[in-house]
Amino acid sequence: MRIKHRLTGLILAAVFASGLFVPGVSHAAVPYEGYQWNRHDSDVHSINGYIYQYSMDGYDLESGPFKEPQDLFVAPDGTIFVADTGNNRIVHLSMEMKVLGVIGDAEGKGALSEPKGVFVHPNGTIYVADTKNQRIVLFSPSGKYEKEHTVPHSPLLGKNFTYSPSKLTVDKREVMMVVSEGNTQGLLQIDKNGQFKGFFGANHIGFSWKRLLVNTIATDDQKAQLAVQRPLEFSSVTQDEEGSLYTTTLATETNQIKRLSPVGVDTLNPGRAKRYGDRYDVAGPFELSSFVSISVSPEGFISALDLNTSKVFEYDKLGNLLFVYGGLGDQSGLFKTPADIAGLPDGSMAVLDKGRNRIDVFRTTPFADLVHKASTLYVDGRYEEAESMWKEVLKYNANYDMAYHAIGKSLYKGERYGEAMRYFKLAETKGDYSTAFKEYRKAYMREHFAWFAGGLILLILVLRYAVPLLLRFLRRVVTARMTAGASKAESTWGKGESP
Amino acid sequence: MNTLQLIRQVIVHPIDFFYDIQNPKRISWLQGVLLILLLFVAKMLSLIVTGYAFETRQPYEISWVYEFMWIIVPWGAYCVSNWAVSTILEGEGKFKEIFVGSAFALAPYILFIVPVTLLTNILSLDEQSIILFLSNLLLVWCGWLLLVKIKVLHDFELGKMVGIALLTVIGMVIMLFVLILMYGLINQFCSFILDLIKEVRFRY
Repeated sequence: MRIKHRLTGLILAAVFASGLFVPGVSHAAVPYEGYQWNRHDSDVHSINGYIYQYSMDGYDLESGPFKEPQDLFVAPDGTIFVADTGNNRIVHLSMEMKVLGVIGDAEGKGALSEPKGVFVHPNGTIYVADTKNQRIVLFSPSGKYEKEHTVPHSPLLGKNFTYSPSKLTVDKREVMMVVSEGNTQGLLQIDKNGQFKGFFGANHIGFSWKRLLVNTIATDDQKAQLAVQRPLEFSSVTQDEEGSLYTTTLATETNQIKRLSPVGVDTLNPGRAKRYGDRYDVAGPFELSSFVSISVSPEGFISALDLNTSKVFEYDKLGNLLFVYGGLGDQSGLFKTPADIAGLPDGSMAVLDKGRNRIDVFRTTPFADLVHKASTLYVDGRYEEAESMWKEVLKYNANYDMAYHAIGKSLYKGERYGEAMRYFKLAETKGDYSTAFKEYRKAYMREHFAWFAGGLILLILVLRYAVPLLLRFLRRVVTARMTAGASKAESTWGKGESP
Repeated sequence: MNTLQLIRQVIVHPIDFFYDIQNPKRISWLQGVLLILLLFVAKMLSLIVTGYAFETRQPYEISWVYEFMWIIVPWGAYCVSNWAVSTILEGEGKFKEIFVGSAFALAPYILFIVPVTLLTNILSLDEQSIILFLSNLLLVWCGWLLLVKIKVLHDFELGKMVGIALLTVIGMVIMLFVLILMYGLINQFCSFILDLIKEVRFRY
């Protein structure tokens, strides 16, 4: 009997062990550690959401290796376009990383010069930001030259305008949204006839007391010598499935990532100054994050690439940090000079490393899949459905503050206010805690109404009758003692004074 | 008169209270010290009983030494500054009266800050204005008592009282400045002596 038990135990153990070591998967240590920023401004260890899988440097391709590639675009059909800037061409790859075509390397009107951006419209037209030639070139789906849009003309652009299109996206009306390097007035809107239609979503200069003071005191000569304050420059632009534009801004500490509504208003950070990227205000070798690229998944997860740390930061639709991966270094999984990031159709992420001339592909971990699933439901407001998933997330990582918050919201929606308060406390969200507390208080009062009403009546009675009685009694005692004490004191005083 | 009765008097009849304490037999130095210690205790208690939603600091961010310094230093500076200013400008108050009187002027805060903070446990953040109003009321009450104290103890007129109050604040700032200056100078001096000793030791 006992032997039989032991035997089954052994077999079970063997089964478990074999399950742990799945054959065919390499087990190199991940060269970076996952973390989260919590509400106390400290970086807490977390489980990695993305793991390096493989690279693609082009040596195996018939088109040859890449040279300083700067843009990566995944077309709606899943094929990949690489702006191979140093080789003056666009390389079109299939999902299996086979060459489907090369665009712009032939002589003629379609010859490209250091193209820095590529975009493919759902109708198949390929738009290339031909940076050195200062134009945007359109190619047919088969890669044939169609037409070009050269420097736009408008009095709005000013005299000193230099056109250097680097990144672009095209909306459903076929209006191009172009990032022109060095331009601080916003995205250039160019319609399908090449007409400039105005700037879009410009960053604004905030109010500053110092500037007000300087402007009131300084003479015109002095003002002329001051550095001119310009709005901040966009570094990249992308579009999600719904057509919202996402931008990254350089040289600022807050709101580096924006989601622009059709009228150019930031809907990702409504009325708040949120720090994206690493918290350099807490600790860090740099002063600022510098996001150079952004990608939005169909579910709305935002991945932004920071050049300073070479890390990718993934946020949910509301701007909550989910995962951090990558970093600066030589190991696979780290980058030298990352230039662009794009999501592949299977959910993995491709990062284009300009410094190493290759594409690194990262796959999601089961933990990331779980968080993504839970977060998608959560963002849609389906808190109850997400609750069990968030509980699962907490089993993996008990420091995942967002999970506590989400469970709290689910409990709140289910009118379990007491438990919701506990979870909001764990998530350290005081506002939500207070709201839940208010409901809890209301329910508590209703449940114990008889006690409260009775207590109130009792209190009134006590205040009306018992307290005055007690006071009267005390006063009588005190006066009695005081008169006694006074006469005693008088007598002693009399004694002391009398000779 | 015991301390409790004095506290009751300063709450109910503040003007009488400040007239009465000019009789040197009615107050002792110890009462002033006791009241300040009570203030410290009340402050710490109110930090402990604050409701979760109203907490502004994490428990580990609170240090009792720090809290104590924040009470004792401004209060001490106030006493000295007020005494110095009013003595120069023909005030009648003695230092003992100012010392004990200003401690008693903080009695409303000592008495009511804990009950007010207890309210944070049954109010939500939406009703924060109630808490803000009550705690500001306590501060205003204490401030008013301090002004009454200046007026009665030194037998000033209204205009002069306001002037003295302002001068007291300026005096506190100057004292702080001188303290920091002294600290810097003494620091330099000490390090100079230490360097000198080091030099001598290297030589022999």
